[in-house]
Order: sequence, then C-alpha cells, then structure tokens
Amino acid sequence: MEITFILNRQKVRVDVPADITLLSLLRDYLHMTGTKVGCEVGECGACSVLLDGKLVDSCLVLAPQVEGREVITIEGVCAEDGSPSDLQKNFISAGAVQCGYCIPGMVMAGEALLRKTLKPTRSEIREALTGNLCRCTGYQQIVDAIEMTAKQRSQTQSGRDKNV
Amino acid sequence: MMKEMDYIRPNSIEEAVQILSDPGRRGKLLAGGTDLLVQKRVDPPDYDCFVDISRLSEIQQIRVSDGVFYLGAGVTHAVIAQDPLILKYVSFLAQACLSVGSPQIRNTGTLGGNVANAAACADSLPALVCLDAVAHLRSKRGERQMLVTELVKGPHETALETDELITHFTFLQPPPGVKTHFIKIGRRNAQSISRLSIAAMGRKDKNGNVDFIRICPGAATPRTMRFTEVETYLMGKQACEELYVDAGQRMAARMVEITGVRWSTEYKEVALKAITERVLREVLG
Amino acid sequence: MSDLQYKYIGKPADRVDALEKVTGAAKYVGDYYLPDMLYARALRSELPHARIKHLDTRPALNVPGVIAVITSEDFIDHGRFGFPVKDHFALAFEKVRYVGQAIAAVAAETPEAALNGVKAIICELEPLPGVFDMDHALDPDAPQVGFEREDHKHPNFLDMSPVYKGDPDEVLKDCPVVLHEEYRTVHQEHSYLETEGALAIPTSDGGVTVYCNNQSPFITKGNLVAVLGLDPIKVRVIQPHVGGSFGGKDDLNYLTACQVAALALKAKRPVRMTFSREESMIASYKRDAMHMRITLGADKDGTLRACKAIHTLDSGAYSSQSPFTAWRASIHAMGAYRYDAVKVEVTSVYTNNGFSGAFRGFGNTEACFGIESAIDELAEKLGMDPIDFRLKNCLRVGDVTPHGQKLTESVGLVECLETVRKLSDWDRKRAEYARQTSQDTRCGIGVAVLFHGTSLGAEGVDCATNTIEILPDYSVACASGLTDYGQGPRTVYTLITAEELGISPERVRILLADTDTAIDSGPTVASRSTILAGNAMRVAAQTLARTLNFAAADMLKCEPQRVMRIGEAYVGPNEEPVSWEKVVDHARSMGLVLSAHGKWSAPEIHWDHHKGTGTPYFGYHFAAQVAEVQVDLRIGKTQVLNIWAAHDTGKVIFPQGALGQVYGGITQGLGYALMEEAIYADGYLQSVNFDTYLIPTSMDVPDMTARFVETNFSPGPYGAKNIAEPAMVPTAPAIVNAIYHATGKRIRVLPADLERVALGKSLHKRGSPVSCKVGLKVK
Repeated sequence: MEITFILNRQKVRVDVPADITLLSLLRDYLHMTGTKVGCEVGECGACSVLLDGKLVDSCLVLAPQVEGREVITIEGVCAEDGSPSDLQKNFISAGAVQCGYCIPGMVMAGEALLRKTLKPTRSEIREALTGNLCRCTGYQQIVDAIEMTAKQRSQTQSGRDKNV
Repeated sequence: MMKEMDYIRPNSIEEAVQILSDPGRRGKLLAGGTDLLVQKRVDPPDYDCFVDISRLSEIQQIRVSDGVFYLGAGVTHAVIAQDPLILKYVSFLAQACLSVGSPQIRNTGTLGGNVANAAACADSLPALVCLDAVAHLRSKRGERQMLVTELVKGPHETALETDELITHFTFLQPPPGVKTHFIKIGRRNAQSISRLSIAAMGRKDKNGNVDFIRICPGAATPRTMRFTEVETYLMGKQACEELYVDAGQRMAARMVEITGVRWSTEYKEVALKAITERVLREVLG
Repeated sequence: MSDLQYKYIGKPADRVDALEKVTGAAKYVGDYYLPDMLYARALRSELPHARIKHLDTRPALNVPGVIAVITSEDFIDHGRFGFPVKDHFALAFEKVRYVGQAIAAVAAETPEAALNGVKAIICELEPLPGVFDMDHALDPDAPQVGFEREDHKHPNFLDMSPVYKGDPDEVLKDCPVVLHEEYRTVHQEHSYLETEGALAIPTSDGGVTVYCNNQSPFITKGNLVAVLGLDPIKVRVIQPHVGGSFGGKDDLNYLTACQVAALALKAKRPVRMTFSREESMIASYKRDAMHMRITLGADKDGTLRACKAIHTLDSGAYSSQSPFTAWRASIHAMGAYRYDAVKVEVTSVYTNNGFSGAFRGFGNTEACFGIESAIDELAEKLGMDPIDFRLKNCLRVGDVTPHGQKLTESVGLVECLETVRKLSDWDRKRAEYARQTSQDTRCGIGVAVLFHGTSLGAEGVDCATNTIEILPDYSVACASGLTDYGQGPRTVYTLITAEELGISPERVRILLADTDTAIDSGPTVASRSTILAGNAMRVAAQTLARTLNFAAADMLKCEPQRVMRIGEAYVGPNEEPVSWEKVVDHARSMGLVLSAHGKWSAPEIHWDHHKGTGTPYFGYHFAAQVAEVQVDLRIGKTQVLNIWAAHDTGKVIFPQGALGQVYGGITQGLGYALMEEAIYADGYLQSVNFDTYLIPTSMDVPDMTARFVETNFSPGPYGAKNIAEPAMVPTAPAIVNAIYHATGKRIRVLPADLERVALGKSLHKRGSPVSCKVGLKVK
C-alpha cells in the first residue's frame, strides 16, 4: 500500500506491503540502515526512532501507522549545520561508544529525554534508557554523555533567556 | 499464495465495529501494537486485516465527572503515568503503568491493549480490578459492560468477541482519604515481566480501624481478582503490623487455595506475604 | 609513572570509529544490501541428538524464489571443522548433536522465500538418547555424543587439564581449618546486540569475498580455504564493524561464513545470512557451565596451605574452545594465592546442551566464582576479615605461583586490594552492616580478587605483525590482523602510531580488518590485542620513524640523533624547522621506503600438560573489586549499590577505552551474578530472545568507580597489560560475597536470583521445546 510520511524532515512516499514494520520499511525498502535490528520484540531498543517526537521501537510500529506522521531516525539527527549534534559529539568524548550497535538507539533515547527536560538527574537519565540494552559499556559513559549535553544545553538556554 | 494483509484506519468507533463485523474480512484491532506485532512474528496470523484504532480520539480521553472516572482504552501507559487526575486520585494506576516495559513501550502501548491481551502478568490489571473498573465494549450489536475482573477470564483469555472492541473503562473515584499503592516484583529493575504484583486501596478511620480496603494480587491467580475474603477480614480491624502480617498469610493461603501448588508456589507464597504487608503499610499506615 | 613523557599515550582521546557509529553511518554486515543479493537461511535441528536418516533438499528448489540449496555434501570432507578438535561440520553430517545445529542452507530472492525453502526440505531425523547432565556424561552407559576415541577413553570425554604442586591430601591432614564446598555456574549467553551474519560475494576468478562479523578473519579464511578447496589467494575475508562479540562470534560464524560462501559460489550471486535473535540464541555457543568441587586448608593464623579443585566443564555438543577454556580455568582455579600444595583437575565433557565456547574470561570467570566464594567462606571460618585474609595470602612480586612460575614484576594485587578497601570505606561498612537486624532489607559488602594470564598462554606461537605506510596525502595507514569488534584496539594502535611518529592522531588511519591487507597474527582473543599488536604497531612505527628521522637529518644537515621534534615539525641545531610533510617528501625523493612491518613475539613460555607445571603465561593482570549490595530479604531481590574496581592493567594507553572495558565487564559480571541463565531443558534452550533472557538494563547497574594500578610490565607496550576479560571476572563473586555479608546466606549456584536469595534454591518451570521450535522458524 502507499504510505506518505515525513522522514527526517523530508516528505517520503513509498509503496510497501501493509504488514511490514516501520523498521523493515526503513531498512529493507529505504536502505536507511542507521536504525538497527536487535530483537524485533521491543526489548533492546536498537531500532528506536522518534515518531511525532516520541521515542518508539520501530519494530513494533506497523509501517502504515506512520501515514502522515513525522519520523526522525539517527540519519536525521544532527546540528543545524549538518554536523554531528552536541549529543553525538558528547557520546564520542565521553567514551560512550564501543561496538556501536546500540548507539543509534541510545542517541534517539537521549534526544527524546532532552526534549522533555534539560535538568535530568542521573537516575532519570538511566530511566530514560531502560528500553535500550547495551552489552558493551555498562551504560555509565552513555549516562555521562547525556548528562553533559543536558548541562550544556541548559546553560545555552539560560544564556539565551538572559539575553532576552 | 497467501492473501496480502490489509490495513484500514477507521475514523470512528462506529466505523471500526462496522469493519470488525464485516463477514468478508477477518479484522484485527491494532492499537499500540506492542503485543500484537510480537505475536505476529511467532504465530501465523488468523486475521487478514489490521484495523488501526491508534488514532481514534474518541478512545483517548481521561476525565472525571460526577465522581466517575472515564478512561479511554486507547490511552497509552505513558499518558496515564503522568496524568494529573490519575496521579491525584488513583496513583497506583500510574505506578502500574510506569512499571510497564520501557519508555518506548509505554509511549505506544495502551491500557485497552494491556487488558485485551490479558497476559497473566499484565501490570495494569490489579489496579483496575481493585477499582472495580468496568470495561465498556462496543460491537455492531451494540454496547455492553463488564467488570474487568470478569472480562479477563484467564491468561490470554477474555470474554471479548472478535467483533468487539473496548472503548473505555469507568470506575468510581475513590472516597476521600483512600490511599492507593502498587508493588511489582520483577527479575530486574526495568523492562521486566511481573513475577508477582499487588495493588491495594485503603483507609482507616479516626480510631485507626480499617474502614476501606481492597486488595488484588497480580500474576498470582489465573484470573486477576480481589481477595475479598481477606478484605472482609481486615475491615474494622485496628491497622497495625500484626494485622498486616496476618493479612499476608491469609493472602498467600488464599492464593494457594485457588491455584494449588505449582512450580512457583513456594516462592510466591513468601513473596506475596511480603508485598501484602508492604502494600498495607502504604495504604493504611 | 610520569605521564609527561608521553604526548598521546594515556591521554584523553576519541575512539577512532565513534563518529561513524554515533551518526549511524557505520556499516555492519546486515546493513549491506547489494544488487542481486540473495538471502540465506539454515534448516536447523529441532532435536538435541539424532541421526539424519533422510535428507532431500530438492523440494526446496521448487519453492518460488529459491536459487540454491546446500548440505554437507557441498563441502570437502563434509566441511569437517574445528580447532583444537575437529568434531564439527560446516553443515551436519550423519548426526545432529544439539538443537539449532544447521543441517542445510537455502539461498533465495527474499528472506521469506528462503524460509519457505527451508520448510520444504525433507529431513527425517531419528531421535537418539541425549546426555543432559555433565555429571553423568562419563557414565559407562551414557549415550555417546562424541566420536569413538583412539585411546579408548569415554567418547564423551574431551580433555582434562591439571595443575599439580605437592600432595594437598597430605597437607590437608595437617590443616586445622578445612573447607570443602561445591559451586556451580550456568551457561551464559553473550547477548551481543548484533546477531551473527556473513555476506559472500563470488569473484570473477572463481573465488569469494566474505564479509563476516567474526573476531578472527584469518581463521574464517583458513576454514573457507579448507572446506571449499579454494586457492587461498582467491579467498578474502573482510571484517566490517562488528556489533559486539565477547568471545561469541567465532566458531558458529566460521560455519556461517562457509555456508554463505558455498551458496554464493553455487548461485553465482552475493548471498547474505543474518540471524534473527531467536536463531542467534538457539544456535550460538554459550559460556560453559561448570561444576566445581573445592577443598581448601589453612593454618589457624590464616595461612593458606592447600587447594584441591576438581571441576567438570559442560562443553555441550562440540569441543569448540572448551579444551582451552578448561586449561585456562585450571591455571586460575586456585586463585591468586600461595599454597604449599595444589591439585587442580578440570575435565571437559560432551553433552547435548547446545555447545559451549569462548566467552569473556574464558574459564576464569567460572573458576573465579568458585575459588573466590570458597576463599570468602574460609575467611569466615577463620574469623578473619575477607580483605585481610586475601592480603595475607595473595601473590606478590618474588612469589612462586603454584604452577612453579616465579613472579618477577608487575604484581599489583596488594595495591589493588588496598585501593578498593579505601575507596569503598570497607572497614567501616563491614562493621556497620554486621550489626544490622532488619528482617526486611539489609546491606552487605563483599570483595573478590583475580589474576588473569595475558594472551594465549603456553599453547602455541604467540606473535603479531602490524604494517604501516605513509600515503600520498601524508596520512598514515596501518593494518593489523588483530581486530576491533568493539573493544577499541584500533584506537590503541592509533595512539601508539601517533606517539612514535610524533604526529597528530588525526593523521593515522587503521584499516578495517581485511585478510588482503593485514598480516595473520593469530586469533583476536584472550585480551591480547593491546600487548601483542600494540607492540607490533610500536615496532612498525619506530622503524618508520627512524627512516623519517634519517631524512630529516639530511634536510637539517645534522646527525640523526640531534634531530628534535616540536609538534609535528622536525628541528635541528642549525636550520629552520621543517614540517612533517616536507620530511616525508624529502624521504621519498631520497628513495627511502615509507612503509614498514613490525613484528612482536611474546616471551617463550612452556607448560607441561601432564605434570601440570610450568610457566602458563608470560604475565598476569591482577585486580580487586568490592561490591556493595542491598538485599530485600523477603522477596530475594538484590540491588547492587556500588562497585569499586582496581585493576593492575600496567600502563593505560587509552583511558576512556580502558574505563569502558571495566564498566562493561562489571555489568556482564553483574548479569552473571544476578539474572543470567541460559537454561537447557532436555537440550532445549528455554530463553530465546531478550524478553526472557535478561541482561542488565541501565537501572540495574550503579555508577561504578574504577581505578588503575599501573605497575610496569616490561614486555607490554609502554608497560601495558590486558584489560577486556579481567574486568568481568571478579564481579560475580564480589556480589555474591556481599549478599552473604548482608543475609548470612551463601549462594553457591549462580545466578543469585529471587528464589535462590529468598528460598536458598532455584525454582524452574518444567522445560518445553516450544520456544526453540517456534524460534527456529520465526519470520
């Protein structure tokens, strides 16, 4: 069936079977492979994307459900100038990346949290990552990276508020 | 060649039940999809059409009027967990929904789906049963109502007809002063299937005697139900540690009476005692 | 040690492949979608032990979309395979020995067609009785899993690894305090987030290029050459980014590579096989389960005297690495202590419980749980503080180990113990928690130590060769046969190269592992990359640095030894400084070779496999970890509140990477301690996806504290040792010892789950074959 949606800020129209998942649509049909396959049962979060700004497992979203909605994948995460986002850069400098397979999902989960709050506690950050399994890092440097980004963004924001 | 799967997104409940009753197709309701799409992977579908009700605004409302809570079946766990009305009056339902899966699952999974899927370990069931929540069902044949405890007959078994959908749940706003609490035991701190859970509502009078109590364990019995014998026992008694311990023993005994001795009973007995005491301490303490 | 002497070694650095990983650009094998590519799927056994009575693959070819089908007949000698024991086949031949074993493989236009092809294959299996209990595998009437042996030992016997020193039975008679206990560990699933996979592309010369997410591409290549009978020059194996391995992507993936290569050659099209999670969990090898029987004897003053450790290791259906795992377990079975007498015997046996292979710690993770629990129990019997008892008996410089090896340097165990004692506020908490009376929740604090031999040990040649070359754009390209599947060696090589050449790390590029560009340096296992290939990288870079220095001296008109460096520039006593680029140009114009090989061989060591003595490893990592837990006594739930880890890693080269290894290792150890258990019921794995096989989430792990004790290790590059495996080894016993401190209940069987902590025993649902059967056919 035909599906039209906004993918990483661009309108996309595809013709796909009705019973595939959003994950399959992204990877098998659009060959956007930044979104990873981990378990396909909504446990590992490697396939996390933002659907209308909310964090979801793309393996548990039926492709036609995105009709008319906005999907952001890891390929759509970047700073305004197209370079890696502050969050992505902080993942690098915090040493949060090892094998990297969970990382696109982790970045999406971190971004989803930071859209809700710029003052998360470490425990809130950990809670926000509970749907994303990582087997390499023990999560600690991932939490560091998100915490670092929250601080930077809230400083920038308060700086901006002061200027206004 | 297998028939290609179809997908329809009705614009109203009316339209949805129309599709479900269409003899020409075997429709399957799709709300959050968090259970359905997992099942689809392992079980060959016995349906040929997804009926997507995830955008029906009719089933996504939460409101209280005249002391009656109205909770749309399409409301997601994430929304319930943060809803001010829920947090104010029936916070244990928010606790239960917050214990479901992960942020991703809570963002899509719905209350109606949790009930309709009827897993023995469904986290929202004990709180809904405690509330004597009524499920409102719709089909082309009309409307009917059923207590959640009766709707869910056992693990993955409900009284829902294939052409029926849950539109919403209603329950009475708890009387003033009634506290609610939910406890879940899982094998890890997040994303865990409930080993055992318990929901309770309670209040004591000015003399310290129990004057309101409802208690319902989850993943303890095939049908999720209030243990009314224990509630009756507790009513009117002085709320104190001894009473909670006593109640824990009675809860465990009642569970074994219902289920008989199973592989997990030895553990569930001691654990149910513990969480009964704790939940009573919260709602009566 | 002063860090001032280095510019990049031990300094903050970015992981070289982190950028492409955070943007999603990094390609893993399942991310390759080639034109004309076929999808492969294997028919896998639904029985734990059976004779293949009849196998007819022709019906699969009638399924629309199916292009090729293979069986063991498509390989030389049926694809007989395995090291150190050749007991496996690229596809099952005559028999299947475990649920999930591949019998045939299909390549088709779509994954769905491939699955339909698999379902169409006619495969009649005649069930055979199975062996599911390692303790009865060697019974005279046990069903035969392994081949007949030439030495007429039991066909289910795989190997026995001993360590002998004196006669512990005699010494134990003299010991006033003796402990005898049994401990058990269970199978553990690696749970790498990326499942197994391989992509084979036929080449025009009749050969094949294979992308495979394995650890050791040269072993994959060796197997491809052997089972396909191809000229080695026509076989190329490339390792794309690998989504975690932890020891788990070797043997099974070698088979996968052979299967896709055979299919690609037959179909004359690219073929990719990537596993579903269920297929991965069911078919893949696990950490072995171990049954340990430990006897310890000590004097009243707390001097350890004797240790007996008689262990059985469940290797499952195939040998895989188990003889080596058992050997490493035997070497470490007595722990990092001095004894008068020791007897260790670790016997590995065949069963039909899946199959066991390499997993982080490689036998030591299991053995350490046993010995560090026993040491704790003995300290209790002696009335001694667990840290004091360990300090009194642990290995120090100058000691001779029970194996007969004199330790001459780099034994930082005492410092590690003292570090965690201080960091954790051990003495205060031990005393405070001992006074708890609550029947609801209690806290506890526990310790465990480890030693862990570096690299392969006395099992064979242990050397590595790296290459280096200056490219026309003045960047430096390096290649190594020891690969990066997430642990971080490419960054380590980068920092070493930058350090030795005096250039910015941004100039350095480490090629992805490719058998056409790298030099075979043995397997990427045993935490050996930093020491072996790190040294090789250093040698290569030093060779190239000398060449450039010579060219610089020529430009600067001075003696080479008078050339200095300021930043990247070369400075002499007289002339103006010259840039790196200018020196490179000048070296080229002088006709100098701007590439180099660097080879490094580990010091020679020897082990006598019969006498059980020798020098098993050329060095050891030492560590101590302290865990603090809160235990809910009523429901049996353990929350780990803190972990303090001090690791004697030698010099740390890449700090964020080393910390990441420690945090990640601890987390795997925490899972092993509290929740992970790959249960086989009559050979059927009971958890086949992450919904039932639980690994720690972000909420299960506390913020951890890690410290490095940087003793100098002279064979290591800059004094560095290993880190990847040792990080996880002591965590489980530290946690379980803390649970004991909190509850007074000793958990001797892992994991310490709700039931074991609350009731002192495990409870399990009756096993079922359903999840496996459904999981193997999942879409």
